[in-house]
Order: sequence, then C-alpha cells, then structure tokens
Amino acid sequence: MTTRPALFRDPAAFLTGFFKNRDWTIPGLILTLILLMVFFGAQSEFFWSVSNFLNIGRSISIRGVIAIGLTIVLISGGLDLSIAAVAAVAGMVAAMLIDAGMNGIPAGLIGLAAAMVLGAVNGSVVVRLRINPIIATLATLLLFRGMAYVVSGGDNIVIGVNTWAFLGRGNLFGVPVALLVMLGIMAAGILFMRYSVLGNYLYAIGGNSEACRNVGVKVDRIRFGTYMGTALLSGIAGVILMSQGGTAQPSALNGAELDIFTSVLLGGVALTGGRGSLFGTLLGLFIVGVITNGFILIGLQIYWQDVARGVILIVAVALDSLRRGGGYR
Amino acid sequence: MTETKQPLLTMRNVSKAFGHVQALIDVDLDVAPGEVMGLLGDNGAGKSTLIKILSGVYHADEGEFTRDGAPAAIAGPGDAQALGIATVYQDLALVETRAVAHNIYLGREPRRWGMLSRRKMEKDAETLLKNLNINLPSVKVDVEVLSGGQRQAVAISRALAQGGDILLLDEPTAALGVEQTEQVHHLVGSMRDQGKSIILITHDLSDVLKVADRIVVLRQGRLWADARAADIDINQIIGWITGALPSRFGAKEAQA
Ligand SMILES: Nc1ncnc2c1ncn2[C@@H]1O[C@H](COP(=O)(O)OP(=O)(O)OP(=O)(O)O)[C@@H](O)[C@H]1O
Ligand SMILES: [Mg+2]
Repeated sequence: MTTRPALFRDPAAFLTGFFKNRDWTIPGLILTLILLMVFFGAQSEFFWSVSNFLNIGRSISIRGVIAIGLTIVLISGGLDLSIAAVAAVAGMVAAMLIDAGMNGIPAGLIGLAAAMVLGAVNGSVVVRLRINPIIATLATLLLFRGMAYVVSGGDNIVIGVNTWAFLGRGNLFGVPVALLVMLGIMAAGILFMRYSVLGNYLYAIGGNSEACRNVGVKVDRIRFGTYMGTALLSGIAGVILMSQGGTAQPSALNGAELDIFTSVLLGGVALTGGRGSLFGTLLGLFIVGVITNGFILIGLQIYWQDVARGVILIVAVALDSLRRGGGYR
Repeated sequence: MTETKQPLLTMRNVSKAFGHVQALIDVDLDVAPGEVMGLLGDNGAGKSTLIKILSGVYHADEGEFTRDGAPAAIAGPGDAQALGIATVYQDLALVETRAVAHNIYLGREPRRWGMLSRRKMEKDAETLLKNLNINLPSVKVDVEVLSGGQRQAVAISRALAQGGDILLLDEPTAALGVEQTEQVHHLVGSMRDQGKSIILITHDLSDVLKVADRIVVLRQGRLWADARAADIDINQIIGWITGALPSRFGAKEAQA
C-alpha cells in the first residue's frame, strides 16, 4: 500500500468541484441589475436621478424588512406564508392602542409583541405539531388576516401623524429613515448569518436537519426561533407602514407576499433550504424595485405590470430549480 | 479480545421498539479496549439501531450502560460524545449544501469572541485531512460536489476529529471501491493500534474477518453470536446471520 495520498483521490471530482462550486448567483444578479438600469435609463430620462433612486429605495424598504425574515426561515428549511398578515396585525394593534390614547412608543412595542405571539403560534404549529409549514402558515395567514379584520371591525384605523411618523416618513441626511432601517437590519443579518455559529446552524439545518440533530444541535428550538424572528421583522415592517400612512388597514400588504417571495427567490434562496444569502435577497429586492419603478416611468399599464410580476416570479422559481437540478451529480 | 481487562463500555438488556417493530431485544454487549468488533446481521437485524442508541440519536426503551465500570446514561448526542463515542452513520449524515470544513466540525465549531472562527476551522480541517492521508480538492467545497468515497472520507474525518476512544462505523465502506475500502481498513487498524475500540458494521464477510478481532451477530434484534474472529470461518458467520446455525445464547427465532 502506498503511503502517498491515493486515498479518495479523484482528479475528475476536483475539476467538477472547481467549476460547480463557483457560485454565479451574486455576479449574475449584479449584472442583471446593471442591465436593467441601463435599459430603463435609456427608456426614461427620469430614471437616473437621485430622487428616483430614493423612490426605489423607499418602495422596497418595508417589503425588504419582511424579506429578511423570509430569507432566514427559508434558509433554515422552513417557510412562512403569513409574513404580510403578521405585519398587518402588528400595525393594527399599534394603531388601535394609539387611537385609544396610548403613547406611541409603548403602543408600537406592544404591536411588535403581538407579532411575536403570532410567530410563536407559527413556530408551535410547525415545530411541535409537526405540520408542513406550507399548510401551517397558509392556515395562520388566513387566521391572522381574519384577526386584523375582526379586531378593527373591518375598518381602517386613522391615527394621522404620530410618534412613529419619523420612522415611516422621515429622512436622515436626505435618505428615507425606513430605507436606513431596512439596510441596517440587512447589514446586521448578513453579519449574523456569516459569522455567528447560530447563523451557520440555520444553513446546516436547512441542508440536513437530521445530521444536525445527530451532533446535538437544538434543531427544534432554533426552528421555533426562526418563526419568532421572522414575525418580529414582519411586525417592524407593519409598524413602519402604519406610521408611513398614518393609518392601519386590515388589508395592509395583502398580496405583497408575492413580491417578497419573488425578490427572495430571485436572490438565490432555495425553497428547499440550506442555500441562499441575505445579500442575494437585497439584490433581488433592488431588481424587483427597479423593474416596478421602470414600468411606471415608461408608462406600462397596471395590468401589464401584474403580468410582468408573474413572469418574474416564474423566472425566479425556474432559477431556483436550475441551480439545484442543473448542476449537481 | 483480552478477557482480563475491564471493558470500556458495557450494555445490559438493551431493548428498543419502533411501534410494533421490536428492533432490539435484551442485548448484552461489552466493548473491550483496543478491539475491532465486527457487528454483523441481516438487513433490519438492528445493527444501525444499536449504533444510534450508543451515539445518543435514539433512546433505548430499556437497558443499562457503563463506561469504565461506572454507570453511564446516554440521553443525547452530547452524552455519547462525553463518553468518548464517535460515530460514522450509515447515511453519513452530511450537510450537502455546506463545505467540508463545516461538516467536519458541525456541532463543535471553533469559536472566537463567541463567533464562528472560520479560519481556524478550515485550517484544522486541512491539518486533520492531511494527517489522515485523505485527499480532497479543498475543505471549502460543498459536500454535494464530492464523490461517494470522498463523502465517506469526510464523515470518517468528522468522527475522528471528535477524538473519542470508541469509534462506531456503520457500513463505512459501502460506497467505496476496492482500494478505498483497503484504506479504510488500514485506518481502522491504525485506530486500534492507538488503543481505540472500533465497532464496524459491514455486509462484507470476507473483509470483516480480515480486520476484526471479534465477530458479533445480531438476528431479529437479538444477540445471536459472539466469537473471536480467529476461531471461526465465513460459513459459520453465514449460518448465524441466516439463522441456519442456532444462537449461541439460546435466543429463539421470532414467531413469524
Ligand atoms: N426510525 C425508525 N422508525 C421505525 N422503524 C425503524 C426505525 N429505525 C429502524 N427501524 C426498524 O428497526 C429494525 C432494525 O433496523 P436497523 O436499521 O437497525 O437495521 P440494520 O441491521 O441496520 O439493517 P441494514 O443492514 O439494512 O442497515 C428494522 O425493522 C427497521 O425497519
Ligand atoms: Mg443499518
């Protein structure tokens, strides 16, 4: 027997590894974004302007906060369809308390607490009752959305300018505060997912939860935590939205799930878990934001925008399956 | 096997059921220091179940354990690790979407200021693989791009990196070619020479006679035979596995 490392040597596998393991997702997204910006810049003279870019930034900030939570849940192999409904409930709870005379700060914090209670419901149904998260959170989506209507009696709650208005409407150094909040959470999330042990467990659990259990990782507890965290982020988005419009609507963000999922999947997060990144999600958000903005600028009719959204979602999902099926083994 | 030494690990009356399936029934087994035990049996005999009980993945319905003569409880993977038990699972239990280094240190990541120390992890993984004479393109590639043999190498490295003195190998050579199988057996031999005990599950009977000091056969969840490898031949083993030879412990065939 040779002592040279003949063991498990395999030059073919080396080459496969070299090419297959290069991840083209992020460069591809950046290129796509640049091409879109060049395209819309050529179509509309208003596209390349600071105020338009700030518009785009403002338009993606609230959905962006929710997308951060969705990204983390998906990476850990879960799924949460109730994200937008949780945001609506949080905004509703906060607005009703302000409407009833409560100070804005505690009202907002209670709104976030309400969101986390809903997150605990999601976590319990998925982790304890072991119900498939698609079904579980589809059910809680209806439940939470229904709750938003029930508590408000179906009406919008108008509170006008309140303590939180700065969050939704304010600017800091000319940049919308909501955008800064989203980017701040995004930056913290990127660092967390890359450098914390827990963030790495989220990836590992999404890749193979049994393997994690075998080595003593507290899979159920961590999974439960992802639903709580996602709900908290949705709650923050809901409170920002409420403060932005000075109203809380039971129908708030209804259907926004679609755009959020599109951004996240486009950004390279796999529906099957274990793969993707928050930076990819950020790029996905900007791509969807630029397309939406560009369509408005070139005067595309509203129903064509829906068609385009549907197409982009299909492209995003197709890319997801391509990344998995197209490369390996 | 040396009868005089105190066993590293003992199991008494270990039983485990999955619903109606009685996977293990009253199994008694001792692991001596520095021995290679070939654990054999038909498909579904309970081999993997026994391994998973020892590694804390399953909890035995009944049974007592001792480590170095002292009573021991195995309530979870952490307990097993603390008892010096490291495992290579039959399905390898690798996270395909994660890099080799992540897989090797899964659950025991080196930390710095409470954060993951990626650089140390990758350096340690490289050193470990080099010491084991295992050749992989890089510790940074995802496991999913590796060949079957390379994956097996990663799973074995993970168990060895744990540094216990009892190594459980559940069909570690199932996906390997002749030369690579040879290498694993060589590895097993050098582990034994370092004084570690190894439980090796395999379906390759001629191979197991070459590396094992002792042969243990499970049949339908019962301990069926336990003999020194030097005293028996392959036909005897086949007889025990298939039930053509009676149990050495008076165990009876399950009523069909
Ligand atoms: N998680 C489980 N749930 C239900 N039944 C199980 C489970 N694990 C094992 N069993 C059953 O227990 C019995 C023993 O299975 P085990 O995996 O231990 O067999 P084995 O000896 O390792 O077989 P093989 O050689 O095929 O790997 C089988 O009947 C199997 O179906
Ligand atoms: Mg088995």
